[in-house]
Amino acid sequence: MKKVLGLTILVVVGLLMGSAAFAQETIDISVRCVGGEIDRWRCENFAAVEEQVEAELGISLNLTLTHDAKAWADYKNEFLLAAQAGEAPDIILSGHEDVGAWAPAGFIIPLDDLIAQHSEFEDIVPTLWESQSWDGQVWAIPQDSEARPIFFSRLLLADLGWSEEEIASLPERVRMGEFTFEDMIATAEQAVAEGVVESGYGFYHRPSIGFDWLPYYLGHGGEIMIEDGTLVFDTEAALGAYELIASFAARGVTRPDMIGYDWTQMYTEVAPADQVLFYQGGTWQWADWAVNYIADLGGNDYLLENMGLMLFPAMTEEEGPLTLTHPLSYMISSSSEHPEVAMALLAAVTTVEANNRHAIESFHLGILNAQVEAEPYKSHPVLSTAHYMLDYTRSAPNHPSYSAWANAYWLGITAAHTGEATPEEAVQLAVETLQNELGDGITIR
Amino acid sequence: MHCAPTATGTFLGMGMAAVTTTQSKRTSSGRPNLTAYLFLMPAVVLVVLFFLIPTILVLYISMTNLTSANFTADIAQMEFIGFANFTTLFNDQFAQKILFNTLFYVLVTMAIFNVGASLFVSLLTTHINRRASFVFRALWLLPRITAGTVYIMMWRRMIADPPFGILNQALGAVGGTPITGSEYVWTFVVIVNGMIGMSFGMVIFTAAIESISKDIMNAALVDGSTMLQRIRYIILPLLRWPLLFVISYQTLSLLTSYEQILLLTNGGPGLYQTEVWALTAYHRALSNYFGNAQWGYGSAFAVVLVVIGVLLAALYMRVFRFRDLVAEPKIETL
Repeated sequence: MKKVLGLTILVVVGLLMGSAAFAQETIDISVRCVGGEIDRWRCENFAAVEEQVEAELGISLNLTLTHDAKAWADYKNEFLLAAQAGEAPDIILSGHEDVGAWAPAGFIIPLDDLIAQHSEFEDIVPTLWESQSWDGQVWAIPQDSEARPIFFSRLLLADLGWSEEEIASLPERVRMGEFTFEDMIATAEQAVAEGVVESGYGFYHRPSIGFDWLPYYLGHGGEIMIEDGTLVFDTEAALGAYELIASFAARGVTRPDMIGYDWTQMYTEVAPADQVLFYQGGTWQWADWAVNYIADLGGNDYLLENMGLMLFPAMTEEEGPLTLTHPLSYMISSSSEHPEVAMALLAAVTTVEANNRHAIESFHLGILNAQVEAEPYKSHPVLSTAHYMLDYTRSAPNHPSYSAWANAYWLGITAAHTGEATPEEAVQLAVETLQNELGDGITIR
Repeated sequence: MHCAPTATGTFLGMGMAAVTTTQSKRTSSGRPNLTAYLFLMPAVVLVVLFFLIPTILVLYISMTNLTSANFTADIAQMEFIGFANFTTLFNDQFAQKILFNTLFYVLVTMAIFNVGASLFVSLLTTHINRRASFVFRALWLLPRITAGTVYIMMWRRMIADPPFGILNQALGAVGGTPITGSEYVWTFVVIVNGMIGMSFGMVIFTAAIESISKDIMNAALVDGSTMLQRIRYIILPLLRWPLLFVISYQTLSLLTSYEQILLLTNGGPGLYQTEVWALTAYHRALSNYFGNAQWGYGSAFAVVLVVIGVLLAALYMRVFRFRDLVAEPKIETL
């Protein structure tokens, strides 16, 4: 009888101990991502690393991943309202510029201490960190990066009489500052004059508001924010930018109605590389063109044969060539009850393997130095050759009033481009708008 | 069986003298009719909840510096800055242009389509075969019942710049000169919006015309009146109430409408060429490309719109002598 009792106690105790050992805390983590189908890895990477993180932390994860192609303004407002209600997702993916608004509002948390606990972040391309910071702290982790380069048509340059060697060396000559922005516009002018392209088809730029206009200001030595966090509008740099932008249509290389031009229409003309000589765009557009615009011509292979990409050629000798990146970033919301777990997940997706999945499928540049040496990124004909651009990249600052700055700058661009104002008047328009809206919050130089 | 008089002063089974007595009692006592107020309560609650409170909230938010960077839903936490947003708004060098755009858009669209064309279609379809008129009116309703985004996408494809665009391809086929959307941007904005707004007036006017007593029309016919004379001297005077309603409603509707313009031109091309006031409020408060939405400043734009709308509604009521229109029939005040 004693034996039976002893055995029973042993079994019960054993079962209790065993269940305690195996009982794992289940932690709910929600992740909100945005983008098209080709950007699916922004969210799906978390599912791919779920087991790994569970094993590392000894926990059970219950992930809720939400990914859709919602419009930016709606997407950001959704987070804003959810954060205010205390129901924000643990991890939110958004443009890095939102750090400038969401950090001071208290909707996201600073990550410096958490970053220090994970070695994965050490390999992130150093130039990307600036775009993740505000007020001396890091608030976000880069999810992807890109170069916003100038695409050139090999086909049309050949028609213009360029040798294969000259075409192949163009990106390097731009990088070395030997082929300047003025050279590019002059080439486009020549292409129009010689009938290689129609008037207005020498150089296409972005047809709407966006970050792509910053290189013109930065390329003329303009500063947006100085070290103490004050916003600056440099009238000399802005004048240089506006004069250059106004000259595109005046010299016949850009169509006068380029601002407001239909995106689809523009891609239809740019992607075959037989109508537009130079185009200012983004690396991710390559994937879109290959699938949606020129699949019948050969898709990616056709583009590789007929299209090339280079940095923004130097607008001034001092600033040299440049490009712009607008990294999307993961942020941890202040509503998160498990920021350490969220951070462990972020560390797990900030690896060569995970980020390559996204980079390869969506034609975004990598965020880690090691990616350039790893397959399949290494052998990717576009990404591997464009990765060097990250060394020349600049980005918009994270500042609560950056949107007012950028809107005023855009106002001047529109005025100068359409000819509704001279470049000097366009500068004045921007200055008056900034002073009216920001008052003492802006320094006009 | 005793029959109580109804709230309107009419009743069943009693003579005219009793009506007069009841009417007299109701007006002379001066006591509030609690039953009437009770009947009004549901409507009052809805108006307060969905019209008055939001207006007060927008007015208050317009006096705060609420942005995405200090966003809060707690009114007590919003920073009150008085009329600073309005000062910024009135100092905005493009506010005047946007206001002019708005007035131009409202007046032209309403004159040509929302009142002009809808009245024309109503008069036309009430003077033709009844079955044909149904078909015709149903066709004019299509822009209204088509999903807004689909409708605008169709227009965008239709008026796309050469060599694209159905319009340009048609022009090309007959040897015409191609046109670009930016050249005729206001024409297209007015047409696209007008085609949608027209159906509203058409339905109201048609119903009003068809409810005109046949006796009056027959009397006019016996007197040898022409169709134009009947329209001028019978139909149009009797449409004063529907006209006031359509003009007032459509003015407010056009003042606050921006969805089609947003999808068609987004206020461009160039410097606010087709930007209207409501679109600016939307751009500022809800759709800032660079993220930091200015809820307070955007609300200031909305408040100005409310003020303009109220002033215009008051003006219309005065011009159309609203009191006379809603006066009780003289037969009941004898």
